[in-house]
Amino acid sequence: MNITFPHLGNTYIAAKVLFDALDVEYTIPPISTKKTLEIGCLHSPDDICLPFKIMIGNYIESIEKGADTVLITGSCGPCRFGEYCELQKKVLMSLGRQINFIVIDEPSKIGIKEFLNRLSSVAKDSRLSIYKKIKALNMALKAINLIDEIEKECRFFAGYEKNKGEFSKLLKDVKREAIESKGAEGTLKVLENYKDKVDRIEIDNFKTPIKIGIIGEIYTIIDSLSNLYIEDILMNLGVSTKRTLYPSWWVKNTALSALKINRSPIYKEAKHYLGMCIGGHAQECVGEAMLNYKMRFDGLIQIFPVGCMPEIVSKAILPDIEKRYNIPILSLVVDEMTGEAGYYTRIEAFLDLIEGRKRMCI
Amino acid sequence: MIIGIPNGLLNIKYRDAIQEFLNTIGFTTVVSPKTNKEILDLGVLNCVDEACLPVKIFHGHVEYLRDRCDIVLVPRIMKLNKNEFICPKFCGLPEMVKYSLDIKNIICPTITAYNEKTLRNSLYNFSKTFRVDKEKFKRAYKGFKSNIYKYNKTSISNPNLRVLLLGHPYLIYDDFINMNLAKKLHQNGVEVFTEDNIEPYDYTYRLIKKPFWTFLRSTYNCAISLVETGKIDGIIYISSFGCGIDSFSIDLIKKDIGSFPYLVLKIDEHTGEAGIDTRIEAFIDLLKRRSKNEYNISSLG
Ligand code: SF4
Ligand code: SF4
Repeated sequence: MNITFPHLGNTYIAAKVLFDALDVEYTIPPISTKKTLEIGCLHSPDDICLPFKIMIGNYIESIEKGADTVLITGSCGPCRFGEYCELQKKVLMSLGRQINFIVIDEPSKIGIKEFLNRLSSVAKDSRLSIYKKIKALNMALKAINLIDEIEKECRFFAGYEKNKGEFSKLLKDVKREAIESKGAEGTLKVLENYKDKVDRIEIDNFKTPIKIGIIGEIYTIIDSLSNLYIEDILMNLGVSTKRTLYPSWWVKNTALSALKINRSPIYKEAKHYLGMCIGGHAQECVGEAMLNYKMRFDGLIQIFPVGCMPEIVSKAILPDIEKRYNIPILSLVVDEMTGEAGYYTRIEAFLDLIEGRKRMCI
Repeated sequence: MIIGIPNGLLNIKYRDAIQEFLNTIGFTTVVSPKTNKEILDLGVLNCVDEACLPVKIFHGHVEYLRDRCDIVLVPRIMKLNKNEFICPKFCGLPEMVKYSLDIKNIICPTITAYNEKTLRNSLYNFSKTFRVDKEKFKRAYKGFKSNIYKYNKTSISNPNLRVLLLGHPYLIYDDFINMNLAKKLHQNGVEVFTEDNIEPYDYTYRLIKKPFWTFLRSTYNCAISLVETGKIDGIIYISSFGCGIDSFSIDLIKKDIGSFPYLVLKIDEHTGEAGIDTRIEAFIDLLKRRSKNEYNISSLG
């Protein structure tokens, strides 16, 4: 069994740690590129949302490298993501690929026994004791938290750095080294090292960079291919960005929600506008918008794929926040046809607008 | 008080029942007219660009009613089956309407109705906001139950072709959106099945995962049941652009029925009637040819 998985931000680093520690065979899909997207689009239904297509591209590229089992989570929310595995399997089968799917669903939906069954089928080939397996899972969790934390800090403090480009270089280096290092421990060590390094980069507290919150559909804001590397671009322009929806956030949030002890302030803030979960991450989007406003951010960028159902609801709500709280919001809708030129022009115009407002001290 | 009932989305199916319910409680109701050009334009103008056509049209209905009644009913339908959902846009419909149209006088009962009890509860909670006593509610509820839309089957004697018409109820029953599709099929001597006049079997065991969308499950089951039992000659799936749920069911069905005749019509506000007509005609021709061929083969064999 050779396990692969779709890309989602930094999860591949955590996956490397997990599978290395479990000592099972795995394939990390090549970093998503335009080519991945092309392959994905070719084989996916036209109207499906963008994440589906990129994921198909990931699978196919991994299969070519020898993978035979796909591991995905099937969040049972009322959105398409939870339904993905079904159609994805059919798509891959119609291409004549024999492939297994391990779908990790919430225990409350499939029963705790089935849940454990599926979990253990991941580590079927591993000859470690159960204690070691749990330890491996723990290490993976640690890895995802570390790398996300590093990325978060880099992105936010990029606006404040003394020597331009330090944070962006560090971010590139840590990802490369983490994936090249040997074994689970090796990767963790690299991450810890870099965590210290981030804190030691000099920042200039007198700077007042533009601060932007990135909100919207979780996959498209995490996956840089689908949002046309928006965070990197903003980083290079010396803009500080913040986003809450990282894979580590998702893990924590899902776990807490399953235990019904989730007290994230996001939901409190969203309550006035959207009091319930309608699927996807619409509620988070609205709550984030409010939180960012309260933290005195200069603007918000909402990103979601064409046809994304929950985000359309939040897009209907955002203009009211924009008006009432006087915070500029830009909605970007992306799909495989999004042209770079027009996209970047809109971002630039948006930054100009904020710049102007800042100068006039609005 | 006059309550406005927008004649869009699932209200099309439950309109009479809702009206009866509210009338019995003692309200005057006004239903917006069948979808027309004016309503469509109102909707397209006011709704989020990316939304699907039915949702836009619903916005149009609300906008139409806004000054013609005291309060507009925008139900938030959460579930019609246990452990299943309808569509994120249904759950967030009141919010969309409220902020896109900047309208305050709406009432949004939350409807969760996967069995008798939950339906009753939802309606009871709704009526509680008006301080309705139990007796009256009982009568109103009865009225609701007995007025739920029943599709009356228009059977054509001796039809040579039978087609299954798939799609959301608000596309199938709204003759403006679907451009009189059912009528056109009838004129061509095609008998039309819809979800409401067949009893499908449950074929979801074929899937690795139980679907959690009501629409997906029912369309899938209908299609597979009728194809497996050989009751139909073809399937027409009418869907709107940008419908996330249809993007799944269309392909899920396509992958399962192989080369069975299957026509997918996608519509939005720019769809021209002529184009749709040609495609329907071509499809009917294809079906006719096929049925002839089949006849030839069987008589030879
Ligand atoms: S939230 Fe949007 S992008 Fe994600 S599965 Fe749902 S429709 Fe697709
Ligand atoms: S089910 Fe499809 S057509 Fe209906 S509201 Fe949802 S997205 Fe629109």
